[in-house]
Amino acid sequence: MMAVTSYLALGAILFCVGLFGVLTKRNAVMVLFCIELMLNAANINLVAFSKYGLHANQTGQVFTLFTITVAAAEAAVGVAILFALYRNRNTVKADRYDTMKG
Amino acid sequence: MEKYFLDYNWTVMAPELIILSAAALLSILDLLLKEEADRRVLGWIGILAVAAAGVFAGSAVGNPPYEILSETYRVDDFALVFKLILLAGTALVLLASLREIRLEGERAQGEYVYLLLTALLGGMILTSSADLITLFVGLELLSLSSYILAGIRRKRPDSNEAAWKYVVTGGMSSAFILYGMSFVYGLTGTTNLYMARQRLFEAYHEGYESFVLLSLFFMLLGFGFKVSSAPFHMWAPDVYQGSPTPVTAFLAAVSKTAAFAFVLRVLLATYLFLLQAGPWMELVAPALLTVSAASMVVGNTAALRQIRTKRMMAYSSVAHAGYLLVPVATAAGGMLFESTVYYLMAYLMMTLGAFTVLMMVERDAGVEDLAAFSGLSRRSPLAAAAMTVFLVSLAGIPVTAGFFGKFYILTHAVTARDFWIAAVMLVTTVISYYYYFGVIRMMYFRSPASPKKVPISPGATAVIVLTLVGTLLLGFFPQFALDFLERLDWTSVLHPAGGAAGN
Repeated sequence: MMAVTSYLALGAILFCVGLFGVLTKRNAVMVLFCIELMLNAANINLVAFSKYGLHANQTGQVFTLFTITVAAAEAAVGVAILFALYRNRNTVKADRYDTMKG
Repeated sequence: MEKYFLDYNWTVMAPELIILSAAALLSILDLLLKEEADRRVLGWIGILAVAAAGVFAGSAVGNPPYEILSETYRVDDFALVFKLILLAGTALVLLASLREIRLEGERAQGEYVYLLLTALLGGMILTSSADLITLFVGLELLSLSSYILAGIRRKRPDSNEAAWKYVVTGGMSSAFILYGMSFVYGLTGTTNLYMARQRLFEAYHEGYESFVLLSLFFMLLGFGFKVSSAPFHMWAPDVYQGSPTPVTAFLAAVSKTAAFAFVLRVLLATYLFLLQAGPWMELVAPALLTVSAASMVVGNTAALRQIRTKRMMAYSSVAHAGYLLVPVATAAGGMLFESTVYYLMAYLMMTLGAFTVLMMVERDAGVEDLAAFSGLSRRSPLAAAAMTVFLVSLAGIPVTAGFFGKFYILTHAVTARDFWIAAVMLVTTVISYYYYFGVIRMMYFRSPASPKKVPISPGATAVIVLTLVGTLLLGFFPQFALDFLERLDWTSVLHPAGGAAGN
């Protein structure tokens, strides 16, 4: 169980760094990066579990392939939306995107 | 026995395959059509595909559960009923926005139609997954399509901003769900929901209680975002306000239904053993009840001070997410599935109807304020009357669909002996009367800004009539819908199909 703990710790740290970044970063590109960090934290968990889990097998690696693909698609959509937003607003400061409130 | 590709009965996937091929066909047709050509024909093809898928899904209701693609994809009554709701919702949204396609799309009219179809496909995959990988892929297909739809008016800053906020919160919630799923896999070594239940049960009794609960709570946190329940609802008002109105209607009715199918499937197929093991009553149920009560209180009170109609509807949908969480939180009650599905059907009808009227009124007025409704009863009395029925139903006043929806949820909560949540629901419902009646007051007791009739397109008229009939039928004859729902085999959700139970 020792082996998996260090991987889980790495995953947890990445996840927390990502979450912290999403919530606090003012640069919109950094926010997208941080979402990727959170998704990759889960990937590390999956790969670690597929080697050292309670029932170690290959399924975790397959799952990771799917999530990497999905995360890439998500990043592409996020960046495209950010482009559209930048064209209209001329800024990448996430805290300036605040026209809607209440 | 090993099964090969053609040994499976592929006809059970007919609804999904139809939607998939329609979306693919539309994306090619869109390229072939001339730039200035009328894209409405794409909308009609979309509606036909959804109707055909609905026929296939409807005819399969009542069959025994069937699992396909090595037990990852599961077609049972639970999935089929949710799919029918999703299909009906998408068809109505497409029909209502046929004339708007040109306006909503702004040079992206084709995309508007086939992204709605891919979002629908994601929702359908979500409702009938029996596997974590399929669930995640379905969820992301629905989410990614919705992000783009929210920002489809790319020249408008508020639409962009809505899409941005949606993609950030949505991405974060997906990461939470995935992180939770990774622990499920770690404890069980499988991604199959039913095998995972068995192995989670073993892991739970071998000293991994905290990890089992951790996986569940990470997933619940993500679901909280997806169904827009408080305190994870911050994105909903902004996204609902900034998105084009048909997309808002789609998010409110269809996405929410799919997310609830997801919550029910995962909780009941995988984590129900916690009910016997103990922590369900100590931890899971209180957490769900708190989220549900918070959604009702926050949604209904924040809606009171909104002056924009769409934002008000967003907070109202947060409150409705709270009502909808009551049955699953009080899982011990007598009518878990019936009350949830009945409420979802009623909610679909009244929300889509209200949003369609809203879309027409706002298009005509050019503003999104409540004031756009002033004097609607004198300008378009029939539209005002229909809107009144929808609002009365959303408020839950007899005899409308919304009343019986709330009534069944309350019955369920009371049979589960959770009286305080029933009390919260009653009190917040009374609070909600104030803002729903605010709109009605606008329509009947304010003088109109202009004497002209509000132009309502034929498609929108059809949707208003259909949803009005649906709302009234569910209100006057709830027993028909309920009899139908009671005949279905809900408990099959709890068991793997066929002989897979033993291994």
